[in-house]
Order: sequence, then C-alpha cells, then structure tokens
Amino acid sequence: MPAEVNDEELMSRIRDGDEEAFRLLIERHQDRVYGTVARMMGGAGPEAEEVAQDIFLRVWRSAGTYRPEGKFTTWLMTVVRNLVFTRSGQRARRRDIDGANPVDEETGESAISNEPDSGVSTPAEALSFQELERAVEAACAELPENQRLVVHLRQYEGMEFEEIGKITGMSLTAVKSLMFRARETLKKKLSGYLTASK
Amino acid sequence: MEKNRSSEEAFGAELERLMAKAPPPKAPAWFAAKTLARLREEEGRAKEGRSWLAGWRWAWAGGAAALVAGWVLWDRPKSGLEISDAAVFAALDALVEQDEENRWWAGL
Repeated sequence: MPAEVNDEELMSRIRDGDEEAFRLLIERHQDRVYGTVARMMGGAGPEAEEVAQDIFLRVWRSAGTYRPEGKFTTWLMTVVRNLVFTRSGQRARRRDIDGANPVDEETGESAISNEPDSGVSTPAEALSFQELERAVEAACAELPENQRLVVHLRQYEGMEFEEIGKITGMSLTAVKSLMFRARETLKKKLSGYLTASK
Repeated sequence: MEKNRSSEEAFGAELERLMAKAPPPKAPAWFAAKTLARLREEEGRAKEGRSWLAGWRWAWAGGAAALVAGWVLWDRPKSGLEISDAAVFAALDALVEQDEENRWWAGL
C-alpha cells in the first residue's frame, strides 16, 4: 500500500474490513493517541495502553458510520476525549467510593489536585533532566481534566483553538479561558524552574 | 504595563521551552501488533457467538412456528358453521306462523 494514502482512504478500506489499512492507521496515529491518553491518565503504562487500544477498536467499529466531513485527526481526538473522560470518570468514582481522593461535586475535579504545591521550589540549576521532566509531568497531571486536555492539544499536538473547541465541544472563548487558567496554574507550579518569573 | 507584558511573553516562551523538554510518551513498539491481535480475538469471539445462534437457528425457527401454529389452532372456531339458539327458535316460529296462515287461506 503506498505511503501517501490519506486517512479518509484508509477509513474507507477499514469499513470494508481491511486489516492492513487498520494497521497503517494505527502506526500513523499511535504516538498521538497513546501520548494523549498517557498525559490524561497520569502516565504511560498498561492502563494507558489498554485505553489507547480501546480507542483504535472503537475507530474500527465506527468506520461504517464515519463521514469525512472535517479533519480526520479532529474526529480521532474527539473519540480519544470521549473515551478518556469516560474512563477517568469511572476511576474518580472508584476513588470516591474508596475515599482516597474526594471529587468536587460541581466541577468533577479532584480536590487534592487543586491544593497549592509547596514542594516544587528547587532551583532549576539543581535539577537533572529527568527531574525537570517529572516536574512538568506532575504539574500537567495536577491540572483539571479539561485544562490538561486543552494544554496537551495546543502544546504537543499544535492544534488551533477552533479545532480544540470542536474536539472538546466548547466555544472558542471557553477554550481560551481554559488555556489561560491552565497557564496560570502551571506558572505557579513551575515557578521554581522559570527564570522569567523571578 | 509594558514591562509586565514583556515579562509575560518571556514567561510564555520559557514555559513552552520547559514543556517541550517533557514530551508525552510514545506508544510502545508492539502497540499496533497487540491492538490487531486484540481486534482478531474480539472479532473471533463475536463470530463464535453469532455462529452459535446460527447453529440453533432451526431450533429457534421450529419453536417459533410451533408457537404460531398453536396460537392459530387454539383461536380457530370449533366447527365451520355456528347457529345460535335464538336463530333456530325464530326459524321454527316462522314455520308455525306460515303453516297457520296457509291453513286460514285454505279455510281449514
């Protein structure tokens, strides 16, 4: 199969049960899907892998109803968003039952995650690369779900705000507002590593 | 104000640089193969379920036919023609009346 086959063409082949086309589609988008799932679910691992597989299986099963009206990645990331939010909602409910992490009734966000971070004020010079990486990951992981997704799509997927709005089902203003709030939170959490904030 | 804005911009650029140093993890090398294996396994299981249903399709069809036949037979009238008692008495009355009328005309 030629490399320049676009996603819409692959989806039409998948609709006819072409496993080779499905393999190509997975290989093309696996890092994007897995990376987003891992960021949204607090890190790489078996759970992130299982959810990412669920997403691709849903793509296979939805191929019959898929209509190439917009960009394929927008549709794919909408599937990612829906599944990740469902899964993390289930996780939050489980934690809620266990009493390990109380969840805010109104926003659905973890109460613990909104606590101010007091332990991340070590100077950047003293940090190794891994430590810095962990600090950024932890700061992102502590963001509320919607903010985390917006930051990830903007920062790592390089998406436009309009596209992010389509994926999250939010208005442009709401997306921009989430991005602003996320930035403010990250600024506080990572202030120890930023020279410009001093 | 101007100073604030430039420090904000510097912060934004630095935050972006910082975040770029911690990219999201990549999918493991076996990811596509494992996903395809899972797809085949799940499709196989679904197929088995469908073939089990298909294997029993004659039993399902026979059962449904027996139910329909039973319902039709149960609901069917016991004989082809049913005449109510009232209709029989009315006919007899009419015969008697007719006989009386014939006798009157005959002067009997």
